[in-house]
Amino acid sequence: MTTALIAEGTRDVPTQVFQKFLQALGEAGAGVELVVRLQKTLIEERAFSERALKQAVLGEESQP
Amino acid sequence: MIRVEAITIKEFRGIRDLTLDFGGKNFVVCGPNGTGKSGVVDALEFALTGNVSRLSGEGMGEISLKQHGPHVDRRNDPEKARVTVRVTIPSLDKTVTLERSLKDPATALVTPRDPAVMAVLRQVKAHPEIVLSRRELIRYVLATPGKRAEEVQALLHLDQVEQVRVGLQKIANSCEKQLIPLGGAVSQARENLLRALEISEFTRQKVLTAANAHRAALGLPPLTDLTESTSLKDGMAAPAPTKPLRIPKTQALADLETTREALAEIASAATTTRVAEVMADLTALATDPAVVAGVKREAFYAAGMGLIEGEACPFCDAPWDLGELREHVQAKIDHLQEVSGKRATAERKIAPLLATFRKVQATIDIVVGYAPLATPPVVSGAASDYSAKCGIAVGQLVALLPLGDTIAILRDLAAVPQAVLDTIGEIYRAVAALPEPTKQDAARDSLTVAQERLEVGREAMRKQKIAKEQAQRARQVSDLYTKTSDAVLAGIYAAVEKDFASLYRCVNRDDEDKFAAHLTPSMGKLGFDVDFYGRGFFPPGAYHSEGHQDGMGVCLYLGLMRHLQGSAFTLAVLDDVLMSVDAGHRREVCTLLKKQFPNTQFIMTTHDPIWLRHMKAEKLIEGRAAVQFRGWTVDQGPTRWDDWDVWKEIDDYLAQNNVRAAAALLRHYLEYMSAELCHRLRAPVEFRGDARYELGELLPAAVSRLRKLYSKAKEAASSWNQKEALGRLSAAASDFARLADASNAEQWQLNAAVHYNSWDNLGKEDFAPVVKAFRQLLGAFVCKDCGGYVRVSPDRETPESLRCECGKTNINLHKKSG
Repeated sequence: MTTALIAEGTRDVPTQVFQKFLQALGEAGAGVELVVRLQKTLIEERAFSERALKQAVLGEESQP
Repeated sequence: MIRVEAITIKEFRGIRDLTLDFGGKNFVVCGPNGTGKSGVVDALEFALTGNVSRLSGEGMGEISLKQHGPHVDRRNDPEKARVTVRVTIPSLDKTVTLERSLKDPATALVTPRDPAVMAVLRQVKAHPEIVLSRRELIRYVLATPGKRAEEVQALLHLDQVEQVRVGLQKIANSCEKQLIPLGGAVSQARENLLRALEISEFTRQKVLTAANAHRAALGLPPLTDLTESTSLKDGMAAPAPTKPLRIPKTQALADLETTREALAEIASAATTTRVAEVMADLTALATDPAVVAGVKREAFYAAGMGLIEGEACPFCDAPWDLGELREHVQAKIDHLQEVSGKRATAERKIAPLLATFRKVQATIDIVVGYAPLATPPVVSGAASDYSAKCGIAVGQLVALLPLGDTIAILRDLAAVPQAVLDTIGEIYRAVAALPEPTKQDAARDSLTVAQERLEVGREAMRKQKIAKEQAQRARQVSDLYTKTSDAVLAGIYAAVEKDFASLYRCVNRDDEDKFAAHLTPSMGKLGFDVDFYGRGFFPPGAYHSEGHQDGMGVCLYLGLMRHLQGSAFTLAVLDDVLMSVDAGHRREVCTLLKKQFPNTQFIMTTHDPIWLRHMKAEKLIEGRAAVQFRGWTVDQGPTRWDDWDVWKEIDDYLAQNNVRAAAALLRHYLEYMSAELCHRLRAPVEFRGDARYELGELLPAAVSRLRKLYSKAKEAASSWNQKEALGRLSAAASDFARLADASNAEQWQLNAAVHYNSWDNLGKEDFAPVVKAFRQLLGAFVCKDCGGYVRVSPDRETPESLRCECGKTNINLHKKSG
């Protein structure tokens, strides 16, 4: 994975961390849907509230 | 990202109207304290980011940018307070103008306004750390590990990384916390099933054996397996709809016995002791006003952190800065860690009570179901109420707050009301009085109740299974995120640590060429230890001087910025930062900035004109890339020298026939340059303990030293049989001798008549040739290619060469051996 760069080569450390994390999650055998949800939340929407993260981690089934 | 070409400041802070032409290159604003240097820095930051951190940072109280940003005479007219900067964006090869007024700081008028330009400007705005003051510098060095971590995290924009880590950890904890009551529900359901089947152990075989015994009594075929869909009463006829419901005596008695046991557990000495302990703990918390406020706030802040999103407060719609608000709230939560610890202790003690109350509620709910079926029906209101109270108690004990309510609930439930015991007793007597059921009825009752409870258990297990999967997933995500982010950050810190040590060694290579440092991240803190002359690693403030510490701050900042911005680190504004670097290493700092950061434009302020000259002598700044403020008035703002070039200014004085001013300036300049040349050429000068050397002691020494160096160079060229070099050196030495003689500088010690002290008395026509002679003399110390002053290399030990920074002047002083 390449280092996360944003405009003009500035290193975006959070994105770098998120990308590494998602890659590790995929390699650890986590479901594709989970990885996709987290990618959308962390990288595309950049939503970091507990509510948004919970939705991404647990999906629709927030309550057992 | 950008380079700043020029800035125009109007009615901003202490500046009325000022235009500076940076030319996209390094630039210095020099002037005594209180002349408006920092106003330029503020204006630059304002134009680029819409903010002035000096006015919005910690401890600024009621000072605000909008109210106090305009010049004091324009405080009611923020429209007039405006800053315009012209910047180039190298990657786009574009020149862009930004203009902001304090009337609307958030909005910049950008020309041209195209998406690529706006993307770059957004990046610039997102990196206000391009402006560094000494106050901030020290935060990287002398702060506590926790505070340093915050500062470095802020610089590296790690707040989002931390926010996600905390969020994922909370989700994992919350999912795991959910497993406890769900596990309790499964256990309770199993216990109920065991009672229904009158067995003591929950295994597939034992459940099947018990169920099949009842099925045999009813003539039903045995079940061979117990799957998720198995019905224990499979094949059993449904009761006729008109047949009244009746109490399954055996199961009811077992349930009543369990209820009595559960109620007895509440009244037991163990529970009484635990309730007393918890009440004492909670009372202690509740009676400490600071702590109770803290407990409340901690819960509030923790809940609020999860709700901070969007760009405005959901209550009042006031816009907020998400990052700042989160940081602010997190700081409060951290502050309340002690409170959190006390709360966690109380929660641990409460856990067994929760299990007891859940059990009482579950068993009472079952037995009160028998009450209306009894003959006559038993009034079970007291038991139902107590069960409801147990349910409320469970909710309150989980929530814990308000503490007063939790204490009241515990007090209320600690003793089981006699009415509850009486009701249970009455139901028991009603059930016990029932005739014994036939074998078939008993079997039917048992299978019916067992099947109901099996289904309850299955549902509880289904929920538990989902919750376990969620908890495992949440924990895996949280752990993996922590591991990955730690690894990435450790890599960043390792790279920064290496770069920092390398930069510091560049500055202090004379005595700390083995310098090393350790940046150690741990549990949200960032340890910082530096090598002290090979004696071990210590905090920077332990043994190093303040000047060295400031040097470390500059190097750490530069290392962090280089890592963060990489090739986009094209601009840094250093507000009086270099001033604090110890005097002995300023030259090296200049070299460091020039050589290690050739693509970065440094805009610097200093109140020390000597420092400015150092920067010029070292070619960190070129040409006229400096402005010197000489004074400041509230009406005029900074007053400056429009042209700081010494020679031009001297010419100007002469043109005005002001020989006195020209002479003073020439003398001042020669004093500085003579000291500089003696240093660079390692010229021998009679030592003065007070370091107050006079021009008459320094300039002759520098001239004499260069003469001798040329002699040494010629001898060296001869020894190597370098005839061409020898010819060039002879010519250069002759030229220099002629210029030195013309200046008479070397005669000062011998002939007071030509001493510089008498310059004031000369006429304009007499002094002009003096100026010309010294200008040419100083020019003889300069490399013709780069314009920098030559120096003897190395700094210590045997001189080996006379060279300049660009390397094109490189005269060998080392003779061939033998």
